[in-house]
Amino acid sequence: MSILVDRNTTVVVQGITGGQARFDTEWCIKYGTRIVAGVTPGRGGELVHGVPVYDTVRRAAAEHDINTSVVYVPAHAVKSAVMEAIDAGIRLILVTAEYVPQHDVIHITAAARQAGVRLVGCNTNGIISPGKSKLAGVGGVDPDEIYAAGDIGVLSRSGGMTAEISLALKDSGYGISTSIAMGGDAVTGMKMAEYVKLFQQDPETRAIVIFGEPGTDNEQEVAALLRSRAITKPVVALIAGAFQERYPAGMSFGHAAAMITTGNESASAKRAALAAAGAHIAGALEDIPALLRRDLR
Amino acid sequence: MLRLTEDLAKQWLRDSGLPTPQAFAAASPQEARSAAERMPGGAVVKALVPTGRRGKAGAVLLAEGVDQAGAAAAKLLGTVVNGHVVRKVYIEARVAIKDEYYVSFVLRDDRAEVLVSRSGGVDIEEVARVSPEKLVRSRIDPLNGLDTWTATDLWLDAGLRGASLPRIAALTTQLYEAFCRADALLLEINPLAIDESGEAHVVGAMMAIDPNALFRHPEWRGDNEPLPENPRARAVALANREYPGGECQYVELEGDIGLLVGGGGAGLYQHDLMLEVGGRPANHCVTPPTGADNRKLKAVLSAIFDNPKLRGLLLGFNFAQMARTDIRARTLIELLDEKKIDTARLPIVIRLFGAGESESRAMVAGRPNIHYVPRGTTLKQAVRLIVQLTAKNSGARL
Repeated sequence: MSILVDRNTTVVVQGITGGQARFDTEWCIKYGTRIVAGVTPGRGGELVHGVPVYDTVRRAAAEHDINTSVVYVPAHAVKSAVMEAIDAGIRLILVTAEYVPQHDVIHITAAARQAGVRLVGCNTNGIISPGKSKLAGVGGVDPDEIYAAGDIGVLSRSGGMTAEISLALKDSGYGISTSIAMGGDAVTGMKMAEYVKLFQQDPETRAIVIFGEPGTDNEQEVAALLRSRAITKPVVALIAGAFQERYPAGMSFGHAAAMITTGNESASAKRAALAAAGAHIAGALEDIPALLRRDLR
Repeated sequence: MLRLTEDLAKQWLRDSGLPTPQAFAAASPQEARSAAERMPGGAVVKALVPTGRRGKAGAVLLAEGVDQAGAAAAKLLGTVVNGHVVRKVYIEARVAIKDEYYVSFVLRDDRAEVLVSRSGGVDIEEVARVSPEKLVRSRIDPLNGLDTWTATDLWLDAGLRGASLPRIAALTTQLYEAFCRADALLLEINPLAIDESGEAHVVGAMMAIDPNALFRHPEWRGDNEPLPENPRARAVALANREYPGGECQYVELEGDIGLLVGGGGAGLYQHDLMLEVGGRPANHCVTPPTGADNRKLKAVLSAIFDNPKLRGLLLGFNFAQMARTDIRARTLIELLDEKKIDTARLPIVIRLFGAGESESRAMVAGRPNIHYVPRGTTLKQAVRLIVQLTAKNSGARL
């Protein structure tokens, strides 16, 4: 198995006529992703890489069996696009745009929760369940170069680091059940703890690798799940950004959620909390396979 | 966060139907005098700079009549308050205050939080420290908003009773709506005042806006933030204002190894690694995603090269699944040539894998001391290499 994305995933691409959406759609289809429809208002009736374009998600959903949307619209249009997808009954929504206004993010996050819809991002570069399906740009034109199928769940605040983790795993003979770039903003639709719970339930995932950064309570929530034994699968965590603590407070590094507001949100505090809860802390990517081997035969 | 000056914040609240005192911005003592002429009850003259704690900085003066208003303006204009040059003052009609309240809204995690108190007109951090029971806070469901009855409950919890209660509660709801429509990250009203006749006035107002939402508020797209003192950081800040695309950053540090990294986790990770293996970063940076327009990337790399402490450079990026590597390599070559940098004296390690890699490798081939590491090299190995090369180079002069 895998989580969130598999052979049953059927996709509408919102904003499919844009450049990045066209590019990703082509390579997703080549990978085997079932992209069944696209939406761009005013462009209904066109085809993009053989995929029919509709004017609204509701029209697309009336013609096709769709459970997932990948949203490529620019930041200012994200709120409307996500509300449209929720309204049309989509169950899993990925938002790729960066710099979405915070009031909009808060609104769509609350709306998705209320509707029981899973919202990934904003600013995700995608989800891949190797050998089955991939959503958005993850893996680029050659996902097999990086993402091998297997039984490790990968969850990252950084899209780029999913590639590095997956390469480190592949080089040492491990493969991936599902790899998720959850987005690095202060507020994300789904939080780290929610993904980890899904990995816990997935019979094909044997261990979980997390990449975290300073800011937010995401990693602390995972530590709480480990402490309460709600998560029993091995967790290996690489938390970057401890260097920030060596410089004066108030200096700003990176754009993620990296405004540290409390001591609990520093990289060191996260490492300590996860370690105390039983997770393995990796100092470098190349340490991850050895840490996994401690718990996996 | 983009802090608005008080005139812009008050104008927004006025346009949202909230009661604000009569006020004018003035750029000269003459303008201040003519504004004060219309305020028979006296005026307050405030430096128009986008910071809090102006009172403590001596930048809020009381004026009786036009002469004092003119003198106050003359005193404030041209001074520096909390790092900002005072180019305008705000002349505001004084309110005869009977009661002072406090209300603020702030985005925290995935909710807006409202904070109210009957102890307005004073430093709220002090109230929180001395008598936290006087503060009442609540998280607001973004889908439901803040109803007047919920606001009334909040103020009841804060101890407010009687005729002012419905008025203050209604204003609290109105303020929340103004906060949301402004895409504000912070709105603080201190004080929200009731005068002798029972009328309410928004007297102190501070508002900070989400920079990502400026497309909805082009009128606030200003240059409110003071430019950094460091000339290299200043050049990058100017590039941010001038060129399109995501925000880039350049923070200069004490070390000697330049870091050209992305904005995400790989940049944080490499900085950690560099300290761990004993290297000293000359900077941290955030570069925008590669696109057709490389001017911001070029501005950041140019700042790195212009740092006199530079003795080594790492171009370190995660395996590029989508971005093209050759845009980064080309930017490097352009700057090396423009700045006539002799790489024999400046070791450069490049770890750029992914689309366009063979073009990137061809571009740097033949240049001395540029180490484009082979496929399979980890981020840590590349960091270690530049630290070693820089240590050997540390005696050299550029």
